[in-house]
Amino acid sequence: MSLDYVKFTPGFDRFMPKEYRDMVEHGPFGKKTTVSQVGSFKEILEEHPMCAGCAMTLFIRLAMISFPNPEDTITVGTAGCGRLAISQAAIPFVYGNYGDQNGVASGLTRGLRLRFGDKPKDVVVMAGDGGMADIGFAQTLHSWFRKEKFTTIMLDNEVYGNTGGQESGMTNRNQVLKMAPLGKKFEKMDMLGMAKVAGCAYVATVVPNNPRRVENVIKKAVLIAREIGPTYIQAYTSCNIEYAIPIDKVMEDAKAVELDRYKFSEYVSEEAREYLADQYGYKEYMPKPAPALAKS
Amino acid sequence: MYLVASINTEVCAATSCKLCTQYCPEANTILYNNDAGKDQGLKYGSAYVSVDRCKGCAQCVWVCDNMAKHNAIKMEMIDQIGDQALTQNIIYGEKSTTAVLANPVPG
Repeated sequence: MSLDYVKFTPGFDRFMPKEYRDMVEHGPFGKKTTVSQVGSFKEILEEHPMCAGCAMTLFIRLAMISFPNPEDTITVGTAGCGRLAISQAAIPFVYGNYGDQNGVASGLTRGLRLRFGDKPKDVVVMAGDGGMADIGFAQTLHSWFRKEKFTTIMLDNEVYGNTGGQESGMTNRNQVLKMAPLGKKFEKMDMLGMAKVAGCAYVATVVPNNPRRVENVIKKAVLIAREIGPTYIQAYTSCNIEYAIPIDKVMEDAKAVELDRYKFSEYVSEEAREYLADQYGYKEYMPKPAPALAKS
Repeated sequence: MYLVASINTEVCAATSCKLCTQYCPEANTILYNNDAGKDQGLKYGSAYVSVDRCKGCAQCVWVCDNMAKHNAIKMEMIDQIGDQALTQNIIYGEKSTTAVLANPVPG
Protein backbone atom coordinates (compact mmCIF):
# COMPACT_ATOMS: atom_id res chain seq x y z
CA MET A 1 0.00 0.00 0.00
CA SER A 2 2.63 2.46 -0.97
CA LEU A 3 4.27 3.56 -4.17
CA ASP A 4 7.15 1.19 -3.37
CA TYR A 5 5.16 -1.84 -4.42
CA VAL A 6 5.11 -0.65 -8.01
CA LYS A 7 8.82 0.08 -8.21
CA PHE A 8 11.51 -2.20 -9.57
CA THR A 9 13.83 -4.18 -7.37
CA PRO A 10 17.25 -2.74 -8.27
CA GLY A 11 18.93 -4.76 -11.01
CA PHE A 12 15.77 -6.57 -12.04
CA ASP A 13 14.10 -3.83 -14.09
CA ARG A 14 15.52 -5.07 -17.40
CA PHE A 15 13.94 -8.50 -16.88
CA MET A 16 10.44 -7.14 -16.33
CA PRO A 17 7.83 -7.33 -19.12
CA LYS A 18 7.19 -4.17 -21.12
CA GLU A 19 3.71 -3.69 -19.65
CA TYR A 20 5.17 -3.68 -16.15
CA ARG A 21 7.91 -1.23 -17.08
CA ASP A 22 5.37 1.08 -18.72
CA MET A 23 3.19 0.89 -15.61
CA VAL A 24 6.06 1.93 -13.31
CA GLU A 25 7.36 4.67 -15.58
CA HIS A 26 4.18 6.00 -17.21
CA GLY A 27 1.33 4.74 -15.03
CA PRO A 28 -1.07 6.90 -13.03
CA PHE A 29 0.47 6.15 -9.61
CA GLY A 30 1.27 9.29 -7.68
CA LYS A 31 -0.13 11.52 -10.42
CA LYS A 32 -3.50 13.08 -11.05
CA THR A 33 -4.81 11.52 -14.23
CA THR A 34 -8.18 12.29 -15.77
CA VAL A 35 -10.40 10.77 -18.43
CA SER A 36 -9.47 13.58 -20.83
CA GLN A 37 -5.80 12.46 -20.72
CA VAL A 38 -6.64 8.89 -21.62
CA GLY A 39 -4.60 7.50 -24.50
CA SER A 40 -1.42 9.19 -23.31
CA PHE A 41 -0.58 7.21 -20.16
CA LYS A 42 -0.43 3.55 -19.19
CA GLU A 43 -3.70 2.54 -17.57
CA ILE A 44 -3.93 0.33 -14.49
CA LEU A 45 -6.36 -1.99 -16.27
CA GLU A 46 -4.67 -4.56 -18.48
CA GLU A 47 -5.86 -6.97 -21.14
CA HIS A 48 -8.82 -9.03 -19.91
CA PRO A 49 -11.09 -11.82 -21.15
CA MET A 50 -14.38 -9.85 -21.20
CA CYS A 51 -16.53 -10.03 -24.36
CA ALA A 52 -15.83 -7.63 -27.23
CA GLY A 53 -17.74 -4.38 -26.89
CA CYS A 54 -18.90 -5.01 -23.31
CA ALA A 55 -20.26 -1.86 -21.70
CA MET A 56 -19.34 -3.21 -18.28
CA THR A 57 -15.71 -3.28 -19.33
CA LEU A 58 -15.94 0.31 -20.48
CA PHE A 59 -17.39 1.32 -17.12
CA ILE A 60 -14.70 -0.60 -15.20
CA ARG A 61 -12.00 1.01 -17.33
CA LEU A 62 -13.39 4.50 -16.73
CA ALA A 63 -13.77 3.77 -13.00
CA MET A 64 -10.15 2.65 -12.73
CA ILE A 65 -8.98 5.81 -14.49
CA SER A 66 -11.11 7.89 -12.13
CA PHE A 67 -9.90 6.56 -8.78
CA PRO A 68 -8.49 9.60 -6.95
CA ASN A 69 -5.52 7.66 -5.51
CA PRO A 70 -5.08 4.40 -7.43
CA GLU A 71 -1.95 3.53 -5.43
CA ASP A 72 -4.03 3.59 -2.22
CA THR A 73 -7.05 1.73 -3.57
CA ILE A 74 -8.15 -1.89 -3.09
CA THR A 75 -11.00 -3.32 -5.14
CA VAL A 76 -13.28 -6.04 -3.82
CA GLY A 77 -15.43 -8.16 -6.08
CA THR A 78 -17.24 -11.43 -6.33
CA ALA A 79 -18.36 -13.98 -8.91
CA GLY A 80 -19.74 -12.47 -12.09
CA CYS A 81 -18.41 -11.05 -15.32
CA GLY A 82 -16.96 -7.89 -13.76
CA ARG A 83 -14.29 -9.64 -11.76
CA LEU A 84 -12.71 -10.96 -14.97
CA ALA A 85 -11.60 -7.41 -15.75
CA ILE A 86 -11.31 -5.93 -12.23
CA SER A 87 -8.79 -8.62 -11.29
CA GLN A 88 -6.62 -7.78 -14.33
CA ALA A 89 -5.44 -4.45 -12.96
CA ALA A 90 -2.31 -3.16 -11.27
CA ILE A 91 -4.10 -2.56 -7.97
CA PRO A 92 -4.90 -5.17 -5.31
CA PHE A 93 -8.13 -7.11 -5.84
CA VAL A 94 -9.86 -9.15 -3.15
CA TYR A 95 -12.25 -11.85 -4.32
CA GLY A 96 -15.11 -12.39 -1.87
CA ASN A 97 -17.18 -15.57 -1.91
CA TYR A 98 -20.39 -15.03 -3.81
CA GLY A 99 -22.41 -12.45 -1.96
CA ASP A 100 -20.07 -11.54 0.88
CA GLN A 101 -18.11 -8.80 -0.90
CA ASN A 102 -19.54 -6.06 1.31
CA GLY A 103 -18.75 -8.07 4.43
CA VAL A 104 -15.18 -8.58 3.27
CA ALA A 105 -14.90 -4.88 2.42
CA SER A 106 -16.18 -3.93 5.89
CA GLY A 107 -13.43 -5.88 7.61
CA LEU A 108 -10.85 -4.66 5.13
CA THR A 109 -11.80 -1.01 5.65
CA ARG A 110 -11.64 -1.34 9.44
CA GLY A 111 -8.32 -3.16 9.25
CA LEU A 112 -6.78 -0.53 6.98
CA ARG A 113 -7.93 2.22 9.34
CA LEU A 114 -6.28 0.45 12.28
CA ARG A 115 -3.09 -0.10 10.33
CA PHE A 116 -2.75 3.22 8.53
CA GLY A 117 -4.68 5.59 10.78
CA ASP A 118 -5.65 8.80 9.10
CA LYS A 119 -3.88 8.09 5.81
CA PRO A 120 -6.75 7.47 3.38
CA LYS A 121 -6.96 3.98 1.91
CA ASP A 122 -9.89 3.56 -0.42
CA VAL A 123 -11.86 0.34 -0.62
CA VAL A 124 -14.12 0.04 -3.64
CA VAL A 125 -16.56 -2.84 -4.06
CA MET A 126 -17.49 -3.58 -7.66
CA ALA A 127 -19.93 -6.42 -8.16
CA GLY A 128 -22.83 -7.32 -10.38
CA ASP A 129 -26.56 -6.99 -9.77
CA GLY A 130 -26.83 -10.67 -8.80
CA GLY A 131 -23.98 -10.51 -6.32
CA MET A 132 -25.29 -7.35 -4.75
CA ALA A 133 -29.09 -7.30 -4.97
CA ASP A 134 -29.82 -11.05 -4.75
CA ILE A 135 -27.18 -13.25 -3.18
CA GLY A 136 -25.26 -10.50 -1.37
CA PHE A 137 -28.34 -8.46 -0.50
CA ALA A 138 -28.18 -8.95 3.27
CA GLN A 139 -24.48 -8.14 3.53
CA THR A 140 -24.78 -5.14 1.23
CA LEU A 141 -27.65 -3.61 3.18
CA HIS A 142 -26.07 -4.41 6.53
CA SER A 143 -22.82 -2.73 5.59
CA TRP A 144 -24.81 0.41 4.72
CA PHE A 145 -26.80 0.33 7.95
CA ARG A 146 -23.55 -0.08 9.89
CA LYS A 147 -22.22 3.02 8.03
CA GLU A 148 -19.10 1.24 6.83
CA LYS A 149 -16.91 3.74 5.05
CA PHE A 150 -16.31 2.35 1.58
CA THR A 151 -17.74 2.71 -1.91
CA THR A 152 -20.14 0.15 -3.37
CA ILE A 153 -20.57 0.09 -7.15
CA MET A 154 -23.22 -2.09 -8.73
CA LEU A 155 -22.46 -3.15 -12.31
CA ASP A 156 -26.11 -3.57 -13.25
CA ASN A 157 -26.52 -5.58 -16.45
CA GLU A 158 -30.04 -6.62 -15.38
CA VAL A 159 -29.31 -10.35 -15.83
CA TYR A 160 -27.05 -13.17 -14.64
CA GLY A 161 -24.86 -12.81 -17.70
CA ASN A 162 -22.10 -15.16 -16.58
CA THR A 163 -24.32 -18.23 -16.16
CA GLY A 164 -26.54 -18.14 -19.21
CA GLY A 165 -29.22 -15.49 -18.70
CA GLN A 166 -31.26 -16.07 -15.52
CA GLU A 167 -33.37 -13.19 -14.19
CA SER A 168 -32.01 -11.21 -11.26
CA GLY A 169 -33.73 -8.89 -8.82
CA MET A 170 -32.59 -6.00 -11.00
CA THR A 171 -34.15 -7.39 -14.20
CA ASN A 172 -37.12 -5.37 -15.42
CA ARG A 173 -40.65 -6.73 -15.10
CA ASN A 174 -41.88 -8.88 -18.01
CA GLN A 175 -38.36 -9.21 -19.42
CA VAL A 176 -37.96 -12.54 -21.23
CA LEU A 177 -34.51 -14.10 -21.03
CA LYS A 178 -33.01 -17.44 -22.08
CA MET A 179 -33.47 -18.86 -18.59
CA ALA A 180 -36.62 -16.85 -17.81
CA PRO A 181 -38.86 -17.84 -20.73
CA LEU A 182 -42.12 -16.69 -19.14
CA GLY A 183 -40.79 -13.24 -18.32
CA LYS A 184 -39.99 -11.81 -14.94
CA LYS A 185 -42.97 -11.57 -12.61
CA PHE A 186 -42.03 -8.69 -10.34
CA GLU A 187 -40.59 -5.20 -10.57
CA LYS A 188 -36.92 -4.21 -10.65
CA MET A 189 -35.66 -3.75 -7.10
CA ASP A 190 -35.28 -0.18 -5.95
CA MET A 191 -31.72 -0.39 -4.64
CA LEU A 192 -31.33 3.39 -4.88
CA GLY A 193 -34.24 3.92 -2.52
CA MET A 194 -32.87 1.30 -0.14
CA ALA A 195 -29.43 2.91 -0.19
CA LYS A 196 -30.95 6.22 0.84
CA VAL A 197 -33.06 4.62 3.57
CA ALA A 198 -30.01 2.76 4.87
CA GLY A 199 -28.14 6.03 5.19
CA CYS A 200 -25.67 6.16 2.29
CA ALA A 201 -24.06 9.59 2.11
CA TYR A 202 -23.89 9.53 -1.68
CA VAL A 203 -26.14 7.67 -4.11
CA ALA A 204 -25.89 8.02 -7.89
CA THR A 205 -27.01 6.34 -11.09
CA VAL A 206 -24.82 6.55 -14.15
CA VAL A 207 -24.53 5.13 -17.65
CA PRO A 208 -21.08 4.74 -19.24
CA ASN A 209 -21.96 6.74 -22.37
CA ASN A 210 -20.74 9.88 -20.62
CA PRO A 211 -17.12 9.25 -19.52
CA ARG A 212 -16.64 12.62 -17.79
CA ARG A 213 -19.77 12.09 -15.72
CA VAL A 214 -18.59 8.61 -14.72
CA GLU A 215 -15.30 10.14 -13.61
CA ASN A 216 -17.03 12.85 -11.61
CA VAL A 217 -19.35 10.37 -9.87
CA ILE A 218 -16.59 7.88 -8.98
CA LYS A 219 -14.31 10.60 -7.59
CA LYS A 220 -17.05 12.03 -5.39
CA ALA A 221 -18.14 8.61 -4.12
CA VAL A 222 -14.60 7.52 -3.20
CA LEU A 223 -13.76 10.83 -1.50
CA ILE A 224 -16.99 10.90 0.53
CA ALA A 225 -16.45 7.28 1.64
CA ARG A 226 -13.12 8.28 3.23
CA GLU A 227 -14.70 10.32 6.00
CA ILE A 228 -18.46 10.59 5.86
CA GLY A 229 -20.05 7.19 5.26
CA PRO A 230 -21.06 4.52 2.76
CA THR A 231 -21.54 5.54 -0.85
CA TYR A 232 -23.40 3.71 -3.61
CA ILE A 233 -23.21 3.98 -7.39
CA GLN A 234 -25.55 2.03 -9.63
CA ALA A 235 -24.23 1.82 -13.17
CA TYR A 236 -26.13 0.46 -16.16
CA THR A 237 -23.68 -1.80 -17.95
CA SER A 238 -25.62 -3.73 -20.58
CA CYS A 239 -24.95 -7.38 -21.38
CA ASN A 240 -24.76 -7.41 -25.16
CA ILE A 241 -24.76 -11.22 -25.22
CA GLU A 242 -27.87 -11.99 -23.13
CA TYR A 243 -29.81 -8.99 -24.42
CA ALA A 244 -28.61 -9.61 -28.01
CA ILE A 245 -27.37 -6.08 -28.60
CA PRO A 246 -25.14 -5.85 -31.71
CA ILE A 247 -21.67 -4.96 -30.41
CA ASP A 248 -21.40 -1.76 -32.42
CA LYS A 249 -24.79 -0.61 -31.05
CA VAL A 250 -23.90 -0.91 -27.35
CA MET A 251 -23.57 2.85 -26.87
CA GLU A 252 -26.78 3.45 -28.78
CA ASP A 253 -28.54 1.08 -26.37
CA ALA A 254 -26.92 2.82 -23.38
CA LYS A 255 -28.24 6.14 -24.63
CA ALA A 256 -31.75 4.73 -25.15
CA VAL A 257 -31.81 3.13 -21.69
CA GLU A 258 -30.50 6.33 -20.12
CA LEU A 259 -33.42 8.24 -21.62
CA ASP A 260 -35.90 5.50 -20.72
CA ARG A 261 -35.19 4.32 -17.16
CA TYR A 262 -31.63 5.19 -16.15
CA LYS A 263 -31.61 8.96 -16.02
CA PHE A 264 -28.64 10.44 -14.21
CA SER A 265 -29.51 11.03 -10.58
CA GLU A 266 -27.36 12.04 -7.67
CA TYR A 267 -28.12 12.29 -3.97
CA VAL A 268 -25.49 13.93 -1.77
CA SER A 269 -26.15 14.25 1.95
CA GLU A 270 -25.77 17.67 3.56
CA GLU A 271 -22.73 16.51 5.52
CA ALA A 272 -21.10 15.14 2.35
CA ARG A 273 -21.71 18.42 0.51
CA GLU A 274 -19.94 20.38 3.22
CA TYR A 275 -17.10 17.88 3.29
CA LEU A 276 -16.53 18.01 -0.49
CA ALA A 277 -16.59 21.81 -0.46
CA ASP A 278 -14.29 22.19 2.56
CA GLN A 279 -11.77 19.43 1.89
CA TYR A 280 -11.65 19.17 -1.88
CA GLY A 281 -12.89 22.57 -3.07
CA TYR A 282 -15.98 21.40 -4.96
CA LYS A 283 -17.41 24.74 -6.04
CA GLU A 284 -20.89 23.33 -6.70
CA TYR A 285 -21.29 22.59 -2.98
CA MET A 286 -19.78 25.79 -1.62
CA PRO A 287 -22.24 28.06 0.16
CA LYS A 288 -23.55 30.65 -2.20
CA PRO A 289 -22.49 34.18 -1.32
CA ALA A 290 -25.23 36.33 0.12
CA PRO A 291 -26.79 38.49 -2.58
CA ALA A 292 -25.36 41.99 -2.62
CA LEU A 293 -27.62 44.54 -1.09
CA ALA A 294 -29.45 46.59 -3.64
CA LYS A 295 -28.14 50.09 -3.80
CA SER A 296 -30.66 52.43 -2.35
CA MET B 1 -8.40 -13.41 -40.34
CA TYR B 2 -10.42 -10.90 -38.38
CA LEU B 3 -11.43 -7.26 -38.34
CA VAL B 4 -9.69 -4.54 -36.36
CA ALA B 5 -10.30 -0.81 -36.17
CA SER B 6 -8.23 1.39 -38.43
CA ILE B 7 -8.09 5.17 -37.96
CA ASN B 8 -7.56 7.55 -40.87
CA THR B 9 -4.82 9.85 -39.58
CA GLU B 10 -5.61 12.69 -41.98
CA VAL B 11 -9.26 12.94 -40.93
CA CYS B 12 -8.47 12.41 -37.23
CA ALA B 13 -5.63 14.93 -37.08
CA ALA B 14 -7.85 17.60 -38.58
CA THR B 15 -10.33 17.44 -35.69
CA SER B 16 -8.86 15.89 -32.54
CA CYS B 17 -11.87 14.95 -30.43
CA LYS B 18 -10.32 11.95 -28.61
CA LEU B 19 -13.77 10.43 -28.12
CA CYS B 20 -12.71 7.01 -29.43
CA THR B 21 -9.97 6.75 -26.80
CA GLN B 22 -12.53 7.44 -24.07
CA TYR B 23 -15.17 5.00 -25.36
CA CYS B 24 -12.99 1.99 -26.16
CA PRO B 25 -13.73 -0.81 -23.65
CA GLU B 26 -10.19 -2.14 -23.89
CA ALA B 27 -7.41 -0.48 -21.90
CA ASN B 28 -4.52 1.15 -23.80
CA THR B 29 -5.86 0.04 -27.16
CA ILE B 30 -6.72 3.35 -28.82
CA LEU B 31 -3.84 5.65 -27.97
CA TYR B 32 -3.08 9.21 -28.92
CA ASN B 33 -0.04 10.66 -30.67
CA ASN B 34 0.18 14.45 -30.39
CA ASP B 35 2.62 14.67 -33.30
CA ALA B 36 0.93 12.42 -35.87
CA GLY B 37 0.02 14.36 -38.97
CA LYS B 38 2.10 17.39 -37.99
CA ASP B 39 4.59 16.55 -40.78
CA GLN B 40 1.68 16.80 -43.24
CA GLY B 41 0.76 20.23 -41.90
CA LEU B 42 -2.29 19.00 -40.02
CA LYS B 43 -3.37 20.89 -36.94
CA TYR B 44 -3.65 18.26 -34.19
CA GLY B 45 -2.32 14.83 -33.38
CA SER B 46 -4.16 11.63 -34.16
CA ALA B 47 -5.47 8.56 -32.38
CA TYR B 48 -4.20 5.16 -33.48
CA VAL B 49 -5.03 1.56 -32.67
CA SER B 50 -2.75 -0.93 -31.00
CA VAL B 51 -4.12 -3.72 -33.18
CA ASP B 52 -2.96 -6.68 -31.08
CA ARG B 53 -5.37 -5.58 -28.34
CA CYS B 54 -8.32 -4.69 -30.56
CA LYS B 55 -11.22 -7.16 -30.19
CA GLY B 56 -13.05 -5.71 -33.19
CA CYS B 57 -16.21 -4.57 -31.41
CA ALA B 58 -16.47 -1.43 -33.57
CA GLN B 59 -17.77 0.78 -30.77
CA CYS B 60 -15.19 3.37 -31.80
CA VAL B 61 -16.69 3.33 -35.30
CA TRP B 62 -20.15 4.10 -33.90
CA VAL B 63 -18.75 6.84 -31.66
CA CYS B 64 -16.75 8.41 -34.50
CA ASP B 65 -19.64 8.23 -36.98
CA ASN B 66 -22.55 9.18 -34.73
CA MET B 67 -21.22 11.20 -31.81
CA ALA B 68 -18.21 12.96 -33.32
CA LYS B 69 -19.50 12.75 -36.91
CA HIS B 70 -15.98 12.52 -38.31
CA ASN B 71 -16.20 9.10 -40.00
CA ALA B 72 -12.49 8.54 -39.49
CA ILE B 73 -12.57 4.90 -38.32
CA LYS B 74 -13.23 1.82 -40.44
CA MET B 75 -13.05 -1.89 -39.66
CA GLU B 76 -10.49 -3.68 -41.79
CA MET B 77 -8.99 -7.15 -42.09
CA ILE B 78 -5.83 -7.32 -40.03
CA ASP B 79 -3.78 -8.91 -42.84
CA GLN B 80 -4.74 -6.15 -45.31
CA ILE B 81 -3.97 -2.95 -43.40
CA GLY B 82 -0.19 -2.99 -43.62
CA ASP B 83 2.11 -1.96 -40.81
CA GLN B 84 0.36 -1.04 -37.57
CA ALA B 85 1.07 -0.15 -33.96
CA LEU B 86 1.58 -3.08 -31.59
CA THR B 87 1.75 -3.00 -27.78
CA GLN B 88 5.40 -4.05 -27.76
CA ASN B 89 6.37 -1.07 -29.95
CA ILE B 90 4.60 1.75 -28.12
CA ILE B 91 6.73 4.40 -26.50
CA TYR B 92 5.09 6.44 -23.75
CA GLY B 93 6.10 10.08 -23.39
CA GLU B 94 5.13 12.82 -20.96
CA LYS B 95 1.82 13.75 -22.56
CA SER B 96 1.72 11.64 -25.68
CA THR B 97 2.67 8.27 -27.12
CA THR B 98 4.38 7.19 -30.30
CA ALA B 99 4.48 3.81 -31.98
CA VAL B 100 6.98 2.17 -34.26
CA LEU B 101 4.83 0.50 -36.91
CA ALA B 102 5.28 -3.18 -37.68
CA ASN B 103 3.55 -5.94 -39.59
CA PRO B 104 0.80 -7.33 -37.31
CA VAL B 105 0.73 -10.76 -39.01
CA PRO B 106 4.35 -11.67 -39.81
CA GLY B 107 5.11 -14.80 -41.75
